[in-house]
Amino acid sequence: MLGLALAAVAARAHAQPAAQGFAFERFYPAPSGAGWLVLDDLNIPSSVGGAIGLALSYEHDPLRISSGGTTLDVVSDKLFADIGGSFTYARWRFYLDFDTPFLITGDSGTVGGYAFTAPSVDPSSHPDPIEDIRVGVDRLVLGNPGDPLRVGGSAQLYIPNDSREDYTTDRDFRGMLRALVAGDIGRFTYAGELGMHIRPLDEAPAPGTPRGSELLFGIAGGARMPLACGTWSAVFGAELYGASAFRSLFESETTAFEGMVSTRLEQLAGEGRRLRIKLGLGVGIVPDFGAPEFRAVVAIDMFGEAR
Amino acid sequence: MTRAFAVAAALLLASARAYGQAAPPAPHEDAAFDFMNLLSDHGLHNLNDEDWNVYGQFTYITSFKVPFSAPYTNANGAPNSFSPDYERSFTGTFTLFFGVKLWKGAEAYVAPEVIAEHALSQLRGLGGATENFELQKTGTTTPAVYRSRLFLRQTFDLGGTTSIRVSDPLQLGGPVDSRRLVITAGNFSVIDVFDKNNVTWDPRQTFFDEAFMTHSSYDFPADARGYTYGVAAELYWDDWAVRLGRFLPPVEPNQQSNDFHFWERYGDSLEIEHDHTLLGQPGAVRLLGYRNHVLSGRFDDAIAAFEADPSKNAGDCPAGSYNYGSGDFNAPDLCWVRKPNVKLGIGLNAEQYVAKNVGLFLRAMYSDGQSEVDAFDSADSDLSFGAVAKGTLWGRPFDVTGIGMQVTAISKEHARYLAVGGIDNFVGDGALGRQRAEGVAEAFYSVNIAKAVWLAADFQLIWNPAYNGDRPGPIYIPAVKVHGEF
Repeated sequence: MLGLALAAVAARAHAQPAAQGFAFERFYPAPSGAGWLVLDDLNIPSSVGGAIGLALSYEHDPLRISSGGTTLDVVSDKLFADIGGSFTYARWRFYLDFDTPFLITGDSGTVGGYAFTAPSVDPSSHPDPIEDIRVGVDRLVLGNPGDPLRVGGSAQLYIPNDSREDYTTDRDFRGMLRALVAGDIGRFTYAGELGMHIRPLDEAPAPGTPRGSELLFGIAGGARMPLACGTWSAVFGAELYGASAFRSLFESETTAFEGMVSTRLEQLAGEGRRLRIKLGLGVGIVPDFGAPEFRAVVAIDMFGEAR
Repeated sequence: MTRAFAVAAALLLASARAYGQAAPPAPHEDAAFDFMNLLSDHGLHNLNDEDWNVYGQFTYITSFKVPFSAPYTNANGAPNSFSPDYERSFTGTFTLFFGVKLWKGAEAYVAPEVIAEHALSQLRGLGGATENFELQKTGTTTPAVYRSRLFLRQTFDLGGTTSIRVSDPLQLGGPVDSRRLVITAGNFSVIDVFDKNNVTWDPRQTFFDEAFMTHSSYDFPADARGYTYGVAAELYWDDWAVRLGRFLPPVEPNQQSNDFHFWERYGDSLEIEHDHTLLGQPGAVRLLGYRNHVLSGRFDDAIAAFEADPSKNAGDCPAGSYNYGSGDFNAPDLCWVRKPNVKLGIGLNAEQYVAKNVGLFLRAMYSDGQSEVDAFDSADSDLSFGAVAKGTLWGRPFDVTGIGMQVTAISKEHARYLAVGGIDNFVGDGALGRQRAEGVAEAFYSVNIAKAVWLAADFQLIWNPAYNGDRPGPIYIPAVKVHGEF
């Protein structure tokens, strides 16, 4: 009888539902040529132009899930490159980019009655992964490059790729619609966004998992300093950005909020190719729902426009 | 405005002729449409001194296998026979090639690619004559996007004469010395660097069968898609070139993994090339050797293990061991004997143009044939030859046609292993009464239907699939291809 009871308990212990992976990444890099690391500076020219860019991001504990006093680092470390290109013309920017992860690792375990299996991505076991692919279009609606107020809009589509086991995709199409604002007032430069992440995946009640569509928000501000060489300038600033599920807006478990201090060096306007080098160090102000404990980013853009 | 949007769309979609398969991309056609030419024509890009470039390609191939008769198929529980029934296979690929100059002599390249595929007989039953070079071991009918290449290339100019290297996929246009050292490191295909042939060129433009992409018995390190990580050094000295590289093999043979213990398990290649002019036409001769030190099974070891202890059979592979799925309890299997083994091979690759845009090619390689295929084809020696011509002679300069033949063979140890029912990744009918060379003859014609798009018809004749004279065929495989570059 005791044996049967123990067997029943054991069976119940092994009957925990399994949580599936999903796209947890909250660092949505600005399109190539778009200035900030996350926010868009809306410096979209009327003439033909373009940019290609590479961003390397490392983040620690980006998916720490807590429930009932238990915490599990489902994803403890991630290193990836974002590679993309953009084309600008007549105040439009069209772009394509993709993330290729080199490392995604974490701990498996049970939280809130759900069994989580950590991803295991590295160049040995996964030589060539690519996450969801992003295609997008931005439009400068009001103002001109360099103006104190620029207003625009943005639409992005995420095309599913890879597998949910790797925590790189929802295996479903996702979209983003954003209103953008940016400007330059003397040495001060700023940007902001407010939008919606249209996300079909809703894994409630599994803790820490997507809850459907989300609110997107972000602001950035900084000071531009000309460098002594005369051909480069530096922008020192900060970016605050995040996402929160509409169904439980701004609750901790369904809100990610990051802050990042950033420096970027830009070649000043001129003929031919220009470079922009960006460095960022960030922390999770609300380190849930995909916001990491800390993040380091280095990025380089090569951009130009016809005169 | 409409034109502007066309340009915008072209830029957004910008790709080059990148190639999703493991074969290196084709050289650039000066008069063909592509994205970089479009920019250059508008004065927005300098093809002769590039900071960046982007190219792209798409290719769809479908092959139809005509039924053939065979006295047995998948005998004794073996799963690797080429099916005698009617089948259709296909591949669809789309690739973008991005290149950027980082500093003097340094270039970085990345090539995302999409593939969807369905192979004849689940890619089993052919040694060196796989009907479609695009097929990958991991492919499915559901499109998958992956990063085919991500590598850095550093060129050190050493003098000699200076020429302009043309803008191509995976190659920035710009001045280059005839004497130079080129270091390539990262994630790419071994045959991006080794065993190139300017006549067979890029398979997406020429032959459909994998037999003509490289030596079938060149067991170069690769993951299941055909790519790997490694470092290659190329020294160009006028008409001579020497190439040396070390690459990562898969952890288990033929799997989608890379073994990063490069000091223990690796594949080394060494190639010497001499370019020449014969009767006013260019040509080249290349001597290629490779040495793999990888985790693999030797055929003799598998047979000896089974003979010493029949419980070490193909149907009883140890739990967790890697095996190819044979259910034959009376056959040996490589799963029992995998350990670090050495595999050696040496080959010749020659090309010679005999008229403008008419070239001949020949490849031949001998490998030791003691151990299983680690990454490429189940072949231990090969000989291929043929001719490729562009339609310049008949006023269609962008059409391409060719005819070729390949025969491959296996070692006597390999044959003995197959004869007693053993299988490797691709071949093993469960029996091998008469060992024969496998062969394929192929002819194709590719019509340039628009400047950037080709429609090709192809016919392959395959005999003795999997080296089995008991199942001689012949097998007829007609195929068609649509290919575009931009």
